[in-house]
Formats: sequence, structure tokens, C-alpha cells
Amino acid sequence: MNKLHLSEDEQDCLQELINVAMGQASDQLARYLDSFVYLKVPSIESVDADSLATTLDQQQAAMAVVSQGFFGYEGIRGEALLVYQDEDSERLADLLGYEPDELSKDEQLIDISSILTTTFLNVFASQIENQISYSAPKLLPSRANSLSEHLEQLTFNWDLALKVNINYQVTDYSFNCNMVLLIPETAINNIKVVLNRILEEL
Amino acid sequence: MNPGVLTDEVTKKFAEKLSSKITDQLNTGILILDTDFNIVMWNSFLEVHSTKVSNDIIGKNVFEVFSELPERWLSRKLSSVLQLGTPNFCSWEQRRHLFELPHTRPITTDCEFMAQNCTFLPMEESGKIEYISILIEDATDVCHYQGQLQKALDKLALMSRIDGLTQIYNRKHWQESLEQEFAKARRHDKALSLIMFDLDNFKQLNDHYGHQGGDQVLIEISKTIGNLLRVEDVFGRYGGEEFAVILPETSILGAIELAERICQTVANTPIKFKESNIIATVSIGVAQLTERDSHFESLIMHADDALYIAKNNGRNQVCSGSDNELLKQVSA
Repeated sequence: MNKLHLSEDEQDCLQELINVAMGQASDQLARYLDSFVYLKVPSIESVDADSLATTLDQQQAAMAVVSQGFFGYEGIRGEALLVYQDEDSERLADLLGYEPDELSKDEQLIDISSILTTTFLNVFASQIENQISYSAPKLLPSRANSLSEHLEQLTFNWDLALKVNINYQVTDYSFNCNMVLLIPETAINNIKVVLNRILEEL
Repeated sequence: MNPGVLTDEVTKKFAEKLSSKITDQLNTGILILDTDFNIVMWNSFLEVHSTKVSNDIIGKNVFEVFSELPERWLSRKLSSVLQLGTPNFCSWEQRRHLFELPHTRPITTDCEFMAQNCTFLPMEESGKIEYISILIEDATDVCHYQGQLQKALDKLALMSRIDGLTQIYNRKHWQESLEQEFAKARRHDKALSLIMFDLDNFKQLNDHYGHQGGDQVLIEISKTIGNLLRVEDVFGRYGGEEFAVILPETSILGAIELAERICQTVANTPIKFKESNIIATVSIGVAQLTERDSHFESLIMHADDALYIAKNNGRNQVCSGSDNELLKQVSA
């Protein structure tokens, strides 16, 4: 049993599910955004509650954070945070297929966040034969330390964070962001049940 | 006949009837579109609020029926729902409203249209997304109170920077500004000057006209001087009858010129109080930041020293010096 309360098998299984989900999601995203967009296979880390703030702090102060809650059957729930740096979003409107004057920068960030989160989690859910609903994405107030403040003010005690680094590589768009999935302890136990069911089926 | 089937059938019909009733009583608008964005159905909420008639709109394109919708942007947004099979959202915080609908608080709020949170949901029919369901929630209340809250916060922020009597910056904010201007001047290698002044014989003025008279003089002088300044100058009440002006990107010569103007304008502008015309004068000290000043406080010190000399030399005059040894009397 490691710090994250997942056994090695459980962790491997989760990692595999996420890899596959990201693969499928990136395929869908590439088609939606543009066939030339290439989404690199994301690096995934699981981080425990104590070290997430430090991990994120090592990077520069985030320019923007968008939060979106998710909840599915069997008690699968949590919150997705999409963390952007200043230079990550120069050509977001273009990437999303909008005209830059059609929507504000905030809307662009919220739009891309919601698309990344829901596409990924939808595929993930279908792999574990679940279905996930979402709350409306929210842009956290832009203050220095807004991320750590937000983490402190969360209504649930989260114990596991999955940090997924998403990177688009295409000559025209330089887009980069971090997706962090915060998962409360009760939900981890529920995920464990699901993971063990999958492991047994193998 | 299997009684179970009958019961199921009855229950199902009842549930259907119930849910359609609920749909029509919801305080949320529901609009169902097909994949070409034609309207398939809506609920009473929308029918009532849009003052359109069902027969006129069913089967029609949503952009034709609601011509206020930004077509290109929304089409792209809706296409994400169809292509990715994921929900999409639009919040009043970024876009006050999509649909121009009236709301239930037209009197007590200043919003013209209902502020809305919209959700766009994919609806699958046998594994294929056939419809988009648009949910429109009335967020006018939230939007209104958020606006009130923001106004209150802005007012508080302003109040914490302003001196209650004279309505110019208070000492705390003024000093913070000087600290910033000091850093800016150092970073960009720009000039920075400071004017500090005292109301002459304020004690006697108070004794003679009473505190109300004294207050009136402080208020009027602040107004008069405020009108002589540039937007970028920072004017604050330093203490009781002591004031200070930060002059970014201004050399000592410019500062002296302004100080002279302040001195003359104050002396030439009688202040009406009850039956009397009060003639007030000020003594002014001016200083420019030198390379030797390692801290913003030394600038205050230089201006204060000059002010002291202006007072000693008989008041109602300007004295300058960017260094103790270089004090120079400018006018009498």
C-alpha cells in the first residue's frame, strides 16, 4: 500500500485506463480541432494531497485556473483543474475554431478546459462502464496563489490528485496546459472497487 | 393477462405524464435542437418568456427564431457537443445572456435581459447523438447581487485609500504610492520629485474661526490644489495640516514651478466661511530624488527639510533642495 492507498496493480490498471482514455480523447479532439493538431501522449503522475501544492508551485505562478466538477455512478467524483501559464493561450481562439473577436480570453480558456476535461473523462467513464456528469466550468479569480487558496477552500477533502500534462504540438499553435484531477478519499475507494473488478476480469 | 405488465405500463405512462408536467413547470428553459439546429421542442418557460408561439417556431432553425444569437460562435460551440458528445457551457459571468428574454426582476435590477447560465447537452438516441438539449437557467438574481457586492467592494477599496475630510489620498495610500514611484524611478532611471507643504498658522486659524472653519480651509485647499495637478501626480494628506504631492518623471525645476503656482493660487483664493473670507497661505518644501537616496524616505526627509526652511524664512513661500547642503531659497 503506497501513500495513495492504491496497490501496485491498482495503480497500473488506473494508469493504463488513463493512457487509453487520453489516446482516444486526443483522437477525438484532433478531429474536432483540426486534423493537423497533434496531441502528445500525456505524462501522468499521481500526487498525494500534501505534495500537490509543492509540485505546482515549482512551476511559475499560474496565469489562469479553470475548475470543473464531475460526478458519475458508483460514487466516482472529483474536480478537474486546468492550469495555464501566460504563454499557453496566445492562439486559443484559432485553435478552437473561433474568430478572436467572437469571445473573450476568459471564455476561450473556459471553453478549451471544458472540452479537454469532458472529452477525456467521457472516454474514461465509458471504459469503466460509467457515465459522468459535469458542473459548469468556472474560472478561478485571478490572484496570485489563487490555486493554493482554492485547494484550501474546497468543500471536500481530496486525497489523490492525478496530474496530466497536456501538450499540443503543431507548428501554428503553441498550447500547453496541466490537467489536475482531484479525487476525494471516498471516491478513491469507489475507484478501487471498479479497478479490482476490472483486474478480476482480466 | 399479466398484471405486472399492466402495472408497468400504467406506471410508465404516469411517469411520462408527470415528467412532462414538471418540464413545463420548471423555472428553467428547455430547448431541444436537432443536428441542423432546428427546434424540436421547448418547454412553457421559454414559450412564456420569449412571447413566441409554439406553432410558429417548431421545426424552424434556432438562429432564425432567436435572431439575437451569435450564429457563427454558437454553431461552433454546438458542433463540439455533436462531435465530441460532451456537454458545453456558457455562463453569465462571461456572457450576460444568450437569449434576449425578460426576467422577473425588471424593477429592482438594472439588467435589461435575463442573465443566464446555459448548458448544452448531447442527447443520444441508439448510440448516435441526434439532439442537443439547451438548458437556460435564470441567473439574474445572482448576477444582480454579485454586481452589488462588487460595487460595495470597490467602494471599500476606495474608502481605504481616501482621507474622509479632504477626499484626497490618505497617508497610508500616499506612502505606498511613493514607495512604488520610487521603485519605478529607480528601475527606469527617471526623475522623481516631491512637494510637501504645510498650511501656515493653522492653529491660529482654528482658534479664530473654530474647527469647522479650519476643516473648510483644508477641504477647499485640497480642491484648489487638486485642480492644478496632472493625472499621474499623487496628492495626499500627510498629517493634520500637512500635505504632499508625488511628481513622477518631474525634475526639481518642474516641481518648483508647480510649487510656486500652488503657493500663489492658495494665497490668491480666499475661502468663504460663514460671513468671512479666509485667506490661507502655505509653506512649501520641494525635493528631487538623488542618486544617493537609497530609500524613498530620504526623499520625504529632503522635502521636509526644505519645508522647515520655508517656514523659518517667513512662510508663504517655496524652498527647495535635493540635498541638505544644496538648500536653496527660491522665492520670498
